[in-house]
Amino acid sequence: MSERRLAVISAGLSQPSSTRLLADRLTAAAVAALGERGISASVTVMEARDHARDLVDHLLTGFPGPRLSAAIDTMTHADGLIAVSPIFNGSYSGLFKTFVDVLEVGALRGTPVLLGATGGSARHSLALDHALRPLFAYLHAAVVSTGVFAATDDWGDPQEASRLARRIDRAGQELAEAMALRPARGGPEPADGLDEVVPFSRLLAGDAD
Amino acid sequence: MQFGIFSVGDVTPDPVTGRTPSEHERIESMVQLALLAEQVGLDVFATGEHHNPPFVPSSPTTMLGFIAARTERIILSTATTLITTNDPVKIAEDYAMLQHLAGGRVDLMLGRGNTGPVYPWFGQDIRNGIQLTIEHYDLLHRLWREDVVDWQGRFRTPLTGFTATPRPLDGVPPFVWHGSISSPQIPEQAAFYGDGFFHNNIFWPRSHTQRMVELYRRRFEHYGHGPADQAIVGLGGQVFMRADSQAAVREFRPYFDHAPVYGGGPSLEDYAEQTPLTVGSPQQVIDRTLTFREYVGDYQRQLFLVDHAGLPQRVVLEQLEMLGTLVVPVLREEFAKLRKPGVPDAPTHVSLVAAAAASAAAEPRVTDAPSTSDPRITDAATDPAAAA
Repeated sequence: MSERRLAVISAGLSQPSSTRLLADRLTAAAVAALGERGISASVTVMEARDHARDLVDHLLTGFPGPRLSAAIDTMTHADGLIAVSPIFNGSYSGLFKTFVDVLEVGALRGTPVLLGATGGSARHSLALDHALRPLFAYLHAAVVSTGVFAATDDWGDPQEASRLARRIDRAGQELAEAMALRPARGGPEPADGLDEVVPFSRLLAGDAD
Repeated sequence: MQFGIFSVGDVTPDPVTGRTPSEHERIESMVQLALLAEQVGLDVFATGEHHNPPFVPSSPTTMLGFIAARTERIILSTATTLITTNDPVKIAEDYAMLQHLAGGRVDLMLGRGNTGPVYPWFGQDIRNGIQLTIEHYDLLHRLWREDVVDWQGRFRTPLTGFTATPRPLDGVPPFVWHGSISSPQIPEQAAFYGDGFFHNNIFWPRSHTQRMVELYRRRFEHYGHGPADQAIVGLGGQVFMRADSQAAVREFRPYFDHAPVYGGGPSLEDYAEQTPLTVGSPQQVIDRTLTFREYVGDYQRQLFLVDHAGLPQRVVLEQLEMLGTLVVPVLREEFAKLRKPGVPDAPTHVSLVAAAAASAAAEPRVTDAPSTSDPRITDAATDPAAAA
């Protein structure tokens, strides 16, 4: 049985939060779908809230503290990512975006990503496709076609809940499929570019990058 | 090992009193610091270079020339000289002139400058930062070593039959350090020329400083300048001391909490844990500074930042006094005991003149034919990546 690393970032603010609830449901669906493909998943779930201070410190000082650094490594070296944000004022939350802002350029390039969002009513659901999806397109992540939005009604109303469950299952299948198609990444290596030196002769010839 | 101070030259309001020094006061304060640094036995004074408020040191050689005239022994340096936005011809001339006036007590630390809007004021573009650094320094390096230079490049008007004057004192250019916090091209550049590498060390975690210095050392050896552990490394450090460590923390905290660089961010305690910042007793500063060699190896120059964040000049002078009398003498002794045999001191004008004389005696010049020991040629021939 091969293995893939699945990172989950949930930016809910309360504990427990409906955002985390959705993240957990998506995770369970993806893990089950990977299992159907003979792949075991090693899952790391991160709450943005746990890193809130470190995130702001990083913005101000220019470097991540040790705990945040580990979280960034987890995201950067994952074979797949589930990212779930509450929708505030028409978009992802500031805390969620801050987590994305501290990633290195190219950190999520090609990484299969499943997007989720929560909000008070279904009227916020387009934020998933108008805000989250373009953000991850900018990062060159491989976002799966199904994004899952869960409004308050989706949790309470039995009919809506079963529709939500179907969307979650479909999204989990899509993420598992995308992750299964890619080889597992190697162990985490430092992503600061200090291991690959551009020889000075090339720098001198005008190749700065 | 050399010990000294480096100053950014910021004009920052004192968060405790609300008072902001005038530019004139700040300039005089920097000079006063340099003079006291010599009196208390430090080896190096280095000034920043900035061309935007709230910083005053726009004209480093003017300031260093004035300090040179009023000192006898201290080495005058920069932290950093902007190799991107300055014309390399002007750097060659200004620092050669300073070198003559200061009797050779001059070296430079080159840096890029990270303030985007400054570049166009000098006809440049920050997006070319690395390329400017490479091209400008390659020209500067030649201007100090070749009497007549024909040169053509991307960023500056061509030179034909140009001689930079005055020629370096005793025919020996000032030693150059290359400073960078995170760009791997800079330790590579320092290693290529066999120059020094300086890591500011105070805004980033130790692990990062360690990796940058390791890269420099590895490439220094690759380019044939000597074993990796004999490369020339300098580090920054940031300290605030009182006899009683709790008093140091109490007094420094408002300056830390409001400092332009990290204010509003992490706590003093977290920042001190993650970076080399040390706030405490002189003994704590000694103990902490001695740990630097554990992650960068034996190194040659330690500069401390003491005048920043709006600290009043009276306090800064006290810090310098403590550094000179209580800290540096112990560090000199302890570092000397720990140092591996064979590790060289930082080059000085005297040592460079001696080295030049020794190599002239060892290798009498027979011909002016182009040297085949040019490391550029060696590198291209032996390094498959370079040839690609």
